Amino acid sequence: MFSDYAALIVLLPVIAFVLTLFLGKKLTSGGAYLPIAAIAGSFIISLGIFLEIYPEGIVQQSIPWFSSGTSTMNMGILIDPLAIVMLLMVSFVSLLIHIYAVGYMSHDPAKPRYFAETSLFTAAMLSVILSDNILQFFISWEVVGVCSFLLIGFWYHKPSAAAAAKKAFLVTRIGDVLFLAGIVMLYVNLVKIINDPANAFEIGSGNFILQFSTMFEAIPLIDPTQLTYITLLFFGGAVGKSGQFPLHGWLPDAMEGPTTVSALIHAATMVTAGVYLVARTFPMFVATPDTMSAGVPDALLIVAYVGGFTALFAATMGLVMNDIKRVLAYSTVSQLGYMMLALGTAGTVLGAGAVGISMFHLISHAFFKALLFLCAGSVIHAVGTNDIREMGGLFTKMKITGTTMFIAALSLAGIGIPYLGIGTAGFFSKDRIIEGAFEYGEKTGDLIPYAFAVIAALLTSIYIFRLWFMAFTGKPRSDRHSHESPNVMTVPLMILALFALFFGFSQLAFYGYVETNFELMGVEIAVHEGEAVHPPIIIVLLPVIVGVLGFLISYAIYYKRMLDMSKIISSENPLYKLLYNRYYEPKIGADLIGVKLTHDVVAQSGEFIDRKIIDGLVIDSIISNTVFKIGEIIRKMQTGVVQNYASITILGVALLLVLLKLKFGGI
Amino acid sequence: MGLYSYLLISIIIFTIGVYGIITQRSGIKILMCIELLLNSANLNLVAFSSYNDNATGQVFALFSIAIAAAEAAIGFAILVALFRLRDTINLDNINILRW
Repeated sequence: MFSDYAALIVLLPVIAFVLTLFLGKKLTSGGAYLPIAAIAGSFIISLGIFLEIYPEGIVQQSIPWFSSGTSTMNMGILIDPLAIVMLLMVSFVSLLIHIYAVGYMSHDPAKPRYFAETSLFTAAMLSVILSDNILQFFISWEVVGVCSFLLIGFWYHKPSAAAAAKKAFLVTRIGDVLFLAGIVMLYVNLVKIINDPANAFEIGSGNFILQFSTMFEAIPLIDPTQLTYITLLFFGGAVGKSGQFPLHGWLPDAMEGPTTVSALIHAATMVTAGVYLVARTFPMFVATPDTMSAGVPDALLIVAYVGGFTALFAATMGLVMNDIKRVLAYSTVSQLGYMMLALGTAGTVLGAGAVGISMFHLISHAFFKALLFLCAGSVIHAVGTNDIREMGGLFTKMKITGTTMFIAALSLAGIGIPYLGIGTAGFFSKDRIIEGAFEYGEKTGDLIPYAFAVIAALLTSIYIFRLWFMAFTGKPRSDRHSHESPNVMTVPLMILALFALFFGFSQLAFYGYVETNFELMGVEIAVHEGEAVHPPIIIVLLPVIVGVLGFLISYAIYYKRMLDMSKIISSENPLYKLLYNRYYEPKIGADLIGVKLTHDVVAQSGEFIDRKIIDGLVIDSIISNTVFKIGEIIRKMQTGVVQNYASITILGVALLLVLLKLKFGGI
Repeated sequence: MGLYSYLLISIIIFTIGVYGIITQRSGIKILMCIELLLNSANLNLVAFSSYNDNATGQVFALFSIAIAAAEAAIGFAILVALFRLRDTINLDNINILRW
């Protein structure tokens, strides 16, 4: 019964967007209750659909949209295990963050704009998730990008926020262009396959060309080289959206927006859309040739390496940041890297199982990272600064925030007890990814992704506990008056903390459910069967050992102060300088590509051509003079005397009549 | 009186209207001449309607009269506004749009 109303999941927040935008000023709290009610509605419908279709139903609804040539595009809804877990997570986390935002944004005069934009964002994100075709997916994907742009630049009067919004938009655009190119290439291939009678490939009635089911059905017919390029282009889109190396730079800058925006968009939902894209089109990734045989690189290998490298690369920068939100931003980039790594490595050894592993980390990450951001928001709300060097000793004043943030940090660091099955959400999800990377290493002899994952896990634990110890323990390093946040903010924190603690226990049910996703869609994924790898004890224990080790290192340095950090943190230390300057990525991005290449080379040469060559041809030359002279003559027609115009009109009509008479005869 | 008498009157009215529009300078007079043009057309509609024994033309003429009333109201409103602005409705002086 709920599945009949699946479209409302998207439509309710859209309606709330329109109403809040236009009526928000007249309502209490800037109309915040409209989006909250709408998203609660979306969550309830999603939950209802989940209960209806679990464990093996899917919902498919599709209507034709427009035709181009012989192919018809459609709009539709596809709710399969992959989509429903995302729907539940996005609507639930979005609901909590909206409630939290009532408190967090209470002093902001532009509340209606804020709530309208986040409501539109939620609608678009839900639409990305339940699209049943790649075109609708792309459109929603772009709307999500626009909302991200608007919300990063929410305080647009701050130049840094406006610049960050621009950067986010431009950098993700690179990915979007690649994604669009992938769609075009896929479409061309599909049309070619359909038009070739030798294939006997037909789209059944009720199915459409760019639907995921049609795409997957056609996989065996697509030329493997082309398929690899299509998947790599899709992955390019995912790299842009999910802030993977080398398009990661926008995500830390995006922290200029309100903290709730960072929690909603840049931690829990939008940035995971890239991972979701790869998971959604995973049969295509798996079907790509897995050696260098075809003269093309292995798509899954690239996914694994980009993900693994990003996980480590971002974690190193997280170590030295002093802005509480930037630490978390690099952590997000790093964790997204883990998800990509899972898809790449486990995809090679486990096939469809990788989707379950990656999605599980995606969802547990959404809970604990949203929680971390909301705790950071609570701290910022209380202290009024982002700089952890100015915090300290907050735990006595903010017990709830401190406790929940500690839980989230434990979850991020992946602390738990192996073999007993007790642990935080991050323990289960991250360990499974690291194990997957190990299995991959066992089978292919390539342990580099595994090494990336383990070192990144150590760094993750160090930077997150550094953050916690610096903010909540020790002596206050500034005389700011801080206090615990109101209930409307702390209650969402506690709910998320429960999930960050206990969500992990659903892991087996979750893997089993999401793994069947592509079977339910009738897609065969070649699973690389083989003997199950039983990793040695040290491999099972290692992620937890590095997690605890990271905790101890941070404890020793930032709580006990056993090591004087002032020698390491100095502009003399080249490593520190490199990390603190973010590997000079902003310099390369803005100064080299932006100023030197785009402005100095492209724009300047464009200006030269325009001013010197084109203007030289046109200004005061025979062309312009002739045009001027003709104009001088013709303008005399405009006498400004109404009677002249009327006479000419009447003469014209008379002339027309005469001509008609001559042509057709008659009376 | 046959159809031709009506058409003749219509032509005469039309010609007066055209002559007026071309020769007159006052905005109001021009507006009145435009009304003459419209009414000659209405007369034609009614005449043909009666001649063909078909009521459509008469209904059409009624619509046309209603629209002419609206058009006249707008025209006079423009002239009133113009007079307030420029203290004249002599169209020879209203020529800022020429070259």
